[in-house]
Amino acid sequence: MDAAALPWWIWPIALFAVSFAIGIVAVLAGVGGGVLFVPIVGGLFPFHLDFVRGAGLMFALAGTLAAGPPLLRAGMASLRLVMPLALVGSIGSFAGALVGLSLRVELLQTLLGILIVGIAILIWRTRAADRADVEADALGAFLRLEGEFVDPAAGMKIDWRTHRTLLGLGAFAAIGFIGGIFGLGAGFANVPALNLLMSAPLKVAVGSSGLLISVINSSAAWVYLERGALLPLIVVPAILGVMLGSRLGARLLGSTPAPVVRLLLIVVMLLAGLRALSRGLGVWA
Amino acid sequence: MTAHERALRELYARWLDRASKAGFALCLCAFIVYAGGLLPSYLPASELPRYWGLPVSRFIALTNMPHGWGWMRFLGYGDVLNLGTVALLALVTPVCYARVLPRLFAERDWLQVALAAAQLLVLAVAASGLLAAPG
Repeated sequence: MDAAALPWWIWPIALFAVSFAIGIVAVLAGVGGGVLFVPIVGGLFPFHLDFVRGAGLMFALAGTLAAGPPLLRAGMASLRLVMPLALVGSIGSFAGALVGLSLRVELLQTLLGILIVGIAILIWRTRAADRADVEADALGAFLRLEGEFVDPAAGMKIDWRTHRTLLGLGAFAAIGFIGGIFGLGAGFANVPALNLLMSAPLKVAVGSSGLLISVINSSAAWVYLERGALLPLIVVPAILGVMLGSRLGARLLGSTPAPVVRLLLIVVMLLAGLRALSRGLGVWA
Repeated sequence: MTAHERALRELYARWLDRASKAGFALCLCAFIVYAGGLLPSYLPASELPRYWGLPVSRFIALTNMPHGWGWMRFLGYGDVLNLGTVALLALVTPVCYARVLPRLFAERDWLQVALAAAQLLVLAVAASGLLAAPG
């Protein structure tokens, strides 16, 4: 079917439906959703990747803005942990957005495909780790990257601190840069960086990742906005879809088997990544 | 966790909550105005499919859509008004940082003051378009 022959209003409605579905899967799989949104919408919709990436940033930003307050109040997102990491991440994201908007679309599609397939493998291979026995390094102690939260599942208060702070800062600069280029929230990378590299407890890593995305994506979003790469007809249905889908996903969370969702996520990401790769290489335009 | 940190966390959460809800509500209202045709559009939605497959630089060149901060002068158009409300969502984080900054000053938490001020500077530079080469 020729996409150009369809009436214009089909596309925002379809985008709303796809964003709604992504919102459900993202919550169930514990990812931000931008990592699904950009390759899927970039591969299946007629919008240029510039507008898809701009919408992807706002998509991830909207989801994390809504989730931030309860996570902060529950102590699962730490401002003290977020502020230094968000600063370097924002600088990286800003630079990434500038670079991303100057690259050729074929190169971007190819790199996006490789990235998404790589992330799918990362999600498949990564296992969470909770270590309460780490010693803070000098920089971590200086920045006071520590805190406490009450874990309802364990029924106890958990004191935590992080280490490998310099590596963590470098990781977040790189994550921000990649997120800025491709319009991703990068929660897929934030959580392993916080949990596996810096040894923040998993729940603090997940909660702080959301708050980090809300800060880091703001700087890249301004670049896309300033360049004219945010189209309300694409951005708003995506935001509304993901917000409603996330709410339904949260309700389904208790009754959906996690391994099935995880497998579904990996399969969808592999397909979306291969689709982006095929478009980038001109195999299947 | 100190009482200062708890208060700071609550302050940030409260402002994040309020600012996000206000941003989403305005965004939704503006979209209804735009999609419902209650205001004229700078670029009618029915014409968008001719252009949305183009790179943004080409899109701007062909449609003459306002970019940079130029859209501020065209808020009487439904699509540009909606763009303005989308921009409000990108303003939520700077608003929250700006709100906690005086509290950090009052507590003489100089490290956090420096981090928050630097973050606001980065966001201001990003929003200003100063370092962005023409698209």
